[in-house]
Amino acid sequence: MEYAVETFSLTKIFSDWWGRAKVYAVDDLNLQIKKNEVFGLLGPNGSGKSTTIKMLLGLLHPTKGKAVVLGGDGTDPKINSRIGFLPEESYLYKYLNARETLDFYGRLFGLPSELRKMRVEALLDMVGLKAVANRSVGTYSKGMARRIGLAQALINDPELLILDEPTTGLDPIGTRQIKDLILKLAQRGKTILLCSHLLADVEDVCDRIAILYGGKIQTQGRVRELLQQTNKIQITTEAISDATVQKIERLIKDEQAECEIASPLDKLESFFIRTVAAAQQQAQPTSGAVSTTKIGGFLVEESPVEKILDKLVSAPLTEKAVQKEPMTEKVVQDESLASGPDEHLLTELTGSPETSVSKPVAKEEKVEEESAESQQVPQKEQIRKDILDRLTDTSSPPQKDDRQKENS
Amino acid sequence: MRSIWAVAKNTIKQALRMKVAVVFIVLLLVLLPVLGMTTTGDETLKGRLQTFVSYGLSLTSLLLCILTIIVSVYTVTSDIKHRQIYTVVTKPIRRYQFLLGKLFGIMMLDVILLALFSAFIYAYAVYMPKKYKADHKENPQVSNEITQVNNEFFTARAALVIPEIDVTREVNERYQELKGMDRLPDLPYEQIISELTEQAKVRKRTSNIGQKLIWEFDNVKPLTKSMFIRFKYDVAVTPPDMQVFGMWYAGDPNYVKYGQQPETPYYENILRHSVQTFHEIEFPANVVPKSGHLAIAFMNIYPNNTSIIFPDDGLAVLYKADTFTANFVRAVFLILFRLFFLACLGILASTFVSFPVAILMCLVLFSTAAISGFVIESFDSLSSDLNIFYSYSIKWMIRFLPQFDKFSPTEFIVSARLLSWSILARCAVSMVFIKSFILLALSFIIFRYREIAKIIV
Ligand SMILES: Nc1ncnc2c1ncn2[C@@H]1O[C@H](COP(=O)(O)OP(=O)(O)OP(=O)(O)O)[C@@H](O)[C@H]1O
Ligand SMILES: [Mg+2]
Repeated sequence: MEYAVETFSLTKIFSDWWGRAKVYAVDDLNLQIKKNEVFGLLGPNGSGKSTTIKMLLGLLHPTKGKAVVLGGDGTDPKINSRIGFLPEESYLYKYLNARETLDFYGRLFGLPSELRKMRVEALLDMVGLKAVANRSVGTYSKGMARRIGLAQALINDPELLILDEPTTGLDPIGTRQIKDLILKLAQRGKTILLCSHLLADVEDVCDRIAILYGGKIQTQGRVRELLQQTNKIQITTEAISDATVQKIERLIKDEQAECEIASPLDKLESFFIRTVAAAQQQAQPTSGAVSTTKIGGFLVEESPVEKILDKLVSAPLTEKAVQKEPMTEKVVQDESLASGPDEHLLTELTGSPETSVSKPVAKEEKVEEESAESQQVPQKEQIRKDILDRLTDTSSPPQKDDRQKENS
Repeated sequence: MRSIWAVAKNTIKQALRMKVAVVFIVLLLVLLPVLGMTTTGDETLKGRLQTFVSYGLSLTSLLLCILTIIVSVYTVTSDIKHRQIYTVVTKPIRRYQFLLGKLFGIMMLDVILLALFSAFIYAYAVYMPKKYKADHKENPQVSNEITQVNNEFFTARAALVIPEIDVTREVNERYQELKGMDRLPDLPYEQIISELTEQAKVRKRTSNIGQKLIWEFDNVKPLTKSMFIRFKYDVAVTPPDMQVFGMWYAGDPNYVKYGQQPETPYYENILRHSVQTFHEIEFPANVVPKSGHLAIAFMNIYPNNTSIIFPDDGLAVLYKADTFTANFVRAVFLILFRLFFLACLGILASTFVSFPVAILMCLVLFSTAAISGFVIESFDSLSSDLNIFYSYSIKWMIRFLPQFDKFSPTEFIVSARLLSWSILARCAVSMVFIKSFILLALSFIIFRYREIAKIIV
């Protein structure tokens, strides 16, 4: 099969002006990233992640070896037009405002003006900067600049998205949004190469990861396989009576197994998002960080369907669920697909009072993904119905379906 | 194409919003009107016009040249330094297209600014005589001055070609003579000959008291009613009042040479002029005989107490060949060619060195080009002593630089000399189509293979 990104003993040695003091930034790297895969590149500082990415895109020349991106050369404009790239920092033209910035990048892609305008507005809305879009980006906070950087990488609806530490400087909501976005894009058949130090984030979204150290791959593989503990099972329920708890404990004892009982802690992330949502409902003033509150329209009660993130990446099937409860798209979406035991897990996550059973894996969502794999076909169906496709192909029939559903 | 345009637009925004260009624009906006109001020249209208236009155009040209250098270097190096280029060259745009976009942006800015400021200079120059007339209603001299300005400033005049005088025979004779007297200096043959040639040529331009100098021109076709003799006197002994007399003649050569009465009228006049500055004498064009054979004669006459020498470029016969407006527009184009060359130079420099080095490099080359005539001359006089390395490297490099002083737009405008299309085309070919394109091609190649993300400390 053809890979989205493939490197052949890619090597980068930095030397000083005199050709001395060599740094082996990347050393004999053989990466293979399949199409439609979310690939995480991990590693400590200075392990060569950014250098690898720069070589993929021709910003640096490999000392040895070569890289093939989308079946071609990373400097070829034809290939470039299918790639979205977010560098390690959002290097923006300080004197442009957010709208001009996105417009500029849209022009570089040669997008026709109508489409460009639509996308710019949709992306501004998505990254929550519409309200400050007329301010020059030089005045933006780090996270705000990051958001523009991200929007810039998405303007061409790329097939391959290369993100170098996308979540640095982002608030938790922004981080969550990016994770959701990555998952949605993956569903739509896009390939994503992600560098990050935030392991939790990588864990949440990546199919496969590689860990670099000293420019060499130390280990790589599927996240599930790397992290799964096959000899344990986790049971989570709503608050139930002590009697029932004791009953369950007895049952487990009968099986000669050890068990641990405690109230689970809420994830800080969900807690944070709930708090901000509550603050927003009370319409508390926000100074400066307008973007934060605007992020992910899914927090805005009055117009949940309007949210651009969903339009960009979600399937119509999910919209009902989204309105019901603001949760990650992943979870929400799988609800409608799930059948059998996994149903319980999903409903538990979205807050309905039922018990659910799951294996203690890296993250619950991963389990669902696995279970959802058997249901690939309906997912693929949804893929076509999202908004970016609508933007690019206004005459396709799924678009009509979409609108009808939105209107109803 | 669209992406080139995007980069160009962004470059203009950068130049304006980062205040680089704004400083220069404000400076010009302030200086030009001030210049217009304060110039006095030699108090005559023509003097004023010449001073204003020459300062105005030179200032515009100089400031725009520096602006072009700074903007072109800044826009490329800043993109690299602040790494915005990472997200630009990874988009579907080729490296050379990026540079072309930058060049387009700079040139668009230049064209707009140049058009603006030269239009101002033009408009003010045209308005000056009107104001002068209104200010000096009582003065009867004014209408004379206006006519003079129309004849000698608001016009574009071509010069008749002065035929080269052949002096080889004289030189040889003189050489033999010296040799016969055994008074040859102890120098190589070539050097003696070149000295003698120089002496002979000066002698041909020297008029002792009572001596007549004659210049003859062929194929003269007068296009207008008046023609002009433009000249400058050098003197052996400077008279106390700096003035000398001269008798001037223009007309049929047969009359001045053999005393034959001509069929056509002729011009003859005794005039007094100061030495060491240029003056002009107007004479009617109908003195030119049907054969097209015209003679201009000068005689050093009695009250003078010195020989008079015309310097090398000290005499020209001028006639109106085009309008002031057309000439002015072409002069502005000359400036534009300069700017184009400098923009290419700036882009080339910034593809391989950082901002301060690139700026320095461009400024040095710019000033060398601005005095290239002087540089080349002094170089040639030195080069005989220098070794082969110098004559093959530096000399070649200086020759590669465009000669800004040779194609000086102000020179043409101030002396109302015709800047013909052919001169303009020659300048375009050499400065734009050859030299600038070489610079651009070089920068494309360097930039194509440059590791953009490599940080050199
Ligand atoms: N232009 C350069 N010149 C010299 N050495 C460099 C250059 N760029 C990177 N390096 C070196 O290469 C190594 C890898 O750097 P790289 O930026 O790829 O690390 P990284 O994995 O992205 O680290 P981080 O997590 O901090 O972003 C480092 O040791 C760094 O010092
Ligand atoms: Mg990095």
